Amino acid sequence: MLLSMDREILQIIGVTLRMSFFSTVISCLIGMPLGILITSTSFKGKRTVRKLINTLMGLPPVVAGLIVYMLFSKNGIFGSMGLLFTVEVMVIAQCLLITPVVISLTGSVCSVNGKNLLENARGLAFGKGKTVRLFLLQNRASLVSVVLTAFGRSIAEVGAVSIVGGNIQWKTRVMTTAIMLETNKGNFTLALALGLVLLSISFIVNVFASLLSEKEGEE
Amino acid sequence: MIEIKNLRKAYGGRTVLDIEELHIKKGECVVLTGHNGSGKSTLLKILAGTEKKSEGSVITRGQIYYLPQQSLPFNKSVRKNLLFCLEGKRKEKNEKCNELLDAFELRHLENKNAGTLSGGECQRLALARVLCRRADIILLDEPSSAADSKGRALINSLIKKYCERTGCTLVMTTHTGEYPEIKGLRIIGLCDGITVSKKEADGNDA
Amino acid sequence: MKKLLCAALALTMLFALAACGGGSENKVIRMSTTTSVNDSGLLPYLLPVFEEATGYTVEVQSAGTGAAIQKAVDGNADLILVHSKASEETFVADGYGVERIPFMYNYFVVVGPEKDPAKIAGSANAAEAFGKIADKKASFVSRGDDSGTHKAEVKIWGESVPDAEKDSWYISAGAGMGACLTMASEKGAYCLTDKATFLSNKADLDLEIILSEGEDMKNTYSLIECNPEKLEGINTEGAKALIEWMTGEEASALIAKYGEEQYGEALFYLIEE
Repeated sequence: MLLSMDREILQIIGVTLRMSFFSTVISCLIGMPLGILITSTSFKGKRTVRKLINTLMGLPPVVAGLIVYMLFSKNGIFGSMGLLFTVEVMVIAQCLLITPVVISLTGSVCSVNGKNLLENARGLAFGKGKTVRLFLLQNRASLVSVVLTAFGRSIAEVGAVSIVGGNIQWKTRVMTTAIMLETNKGNFTLALALGLVLLSISFIVNVFASLLSEKEGEE
Repeated sequence: MIEIKNLRKAYGGRTVLDIEELHIKKGECVVLTGHNGSGKSTLLKILAGTEKKSEGSVITRGQIYYLPQQSLPFNKSVRKNLLFCLEGKRKEKNEKCNELLDAFELRHLENKNAGTLSGGECQRLALARVLCRRADIILLDEPSSAADSKGRALINSLIKKYCERTGCTLVMTTHTGEYPEIKGLRIIGLCDGITVSKKEADGNDA
Repeated sequence: MKKLLCAALALTMLFALAACGGGSENKVIRMSTTTSVNDSGLLPYLLPVFEEATGYTVEVQSAGTGAAIQKAVDGNADLILVHSKASEETFVADGYGVERIPFMYNYFVVVGPEKDPAKIAGSANAAEAFGKIADKKASFVSRGDDSGTHKAEVKIWGESVPDAEKDSWYISAGAGMGACLTMASEKGAYCLTDKATFLSNKADLDLEIILSEGEDMKNTYSLIECNPEKLEGINTEGAKALIEWMTGEEASALIAKYGEEQYGEALFYLIEE
């Protein structure tokens, strides 16, 4: 059954990977430095910021989807960009969902030996940029799992992407929305098969990442 | 230059540091001695700005570099540890790095991950990272505590050389009774957070 | 403590059993239906009256026609209310359904932006309109989810169903009616929809009815009781009672009136026997 429609499935996998890759990269680029800065600096309202991020972490995907949808719909602030129902806007919605997770996880990873490391960085009078780089460097093994978590979230998410992406065939359909569709059609077997494909992708990515971090560790 | 007036530091309700007045002139070298918990490290942390004071005033002037008691090796090779701290053009950085590797006797370890070094080697690396740039004030917390006697001698001579070359102000702590043989070195004893003795030392006569 | 736990467990199981057995009369009817019937508000309008009169509780599960039928095939429904003749006939022929009872109909309409870029207004039927849309390559949102509406679309396209991969103007959304209408509104596209869903969502949409009441746009709804001989655990009595009521006079009167107050026209018409 999967073989008979393999071309479309490959295309769906392609869109899925593209979307997850970009959302992971962007949210890590934003979230990791922010997570480190929030952990490593003391400022007024730090607690409030922490609480806010924890709240955002629990943001239901459909709500994130709805917010992005309203911003990018024809009458929304960014409506003129014509991005609704594209992979780009799916990435934006995903980033909204994942970045708080990345910030929070990075924060907790970096607070393990954070105080000591920070003392060293301050002692050497490192600026913000260098401090962030040092934290990334020092915690890179654990940060790989943060990246993986972000990727896993992004690849498994369905609520937000179906709202803003629209599940358009050959365009914005991803694995999860395809599974939803097949379930709605009553093709439970195909839906399950797609689910297995999704699971294998996650597995492969995980294996790949753990190989990578092991190799790093040996150096 | 460092000026301390009525400095007090308390954790919870316990006062760990209470210094009425302490002036350290530009270019002066000071060794803080005292038992564990006498407040040496806390004083350095406050001077370095990694710890907040409870009350009083602390004025420092110039670029400060500080070596904490627990210095962390950065998660890469010894060479890259140094390069990470150096600034300037690539060529200059490499030259400076080579100089440091030789001076701190780390040449044979340059491509090893810093995390695999022994305690003494690690301390030499940490000191090299602190002394690789020009500073006005150097704060060193037990810079040779993990080294053997040969290592301690090396470290102390390196500190001495650096201070003489740059004319910087030095404040360091030690509890081994060994310190660099710098002219005009002042030894300040701390007990329960209070300065108890001040004396001028010419060489290692303590 | 352990004894107490055991006792509690036994008690819970007893209750569970009692709930399952439910005595001789099962008061819950499971109805599997399509999104369009539920979204149009017809069932929420009718069922409370039925429940009041008979004491039954109707659990409505709504999904696309494909899934709605599949749920019944899996034994998760007592009756179905759908609108796709071919699928219904297969369902009955395979022995899952007792009998197909067409009981009401309405018309699909083609909606689109007011400007009508493909100039389909005035077409004789939907097939002609679709042809014009394809010629102009005007955007068209397809349900693409095997629902009754999607099957109607495919039937109207006939031989010339566009290829979603190559024809970028043909947007296969794979979504429910409401979502497709929203997408059509956003994209300034045409869409085939049942009138009821369109009218109940119209306030939020930048769409107008461009074509209605072509002879190829008739949309018939049927009730099918699931076959207790083929499937287990079917509440036959409940299903029969509901079908009888739905095709009876009281429901007929209610259906004929439905929508008049709100939209100024009836949304469903009864099939006269």
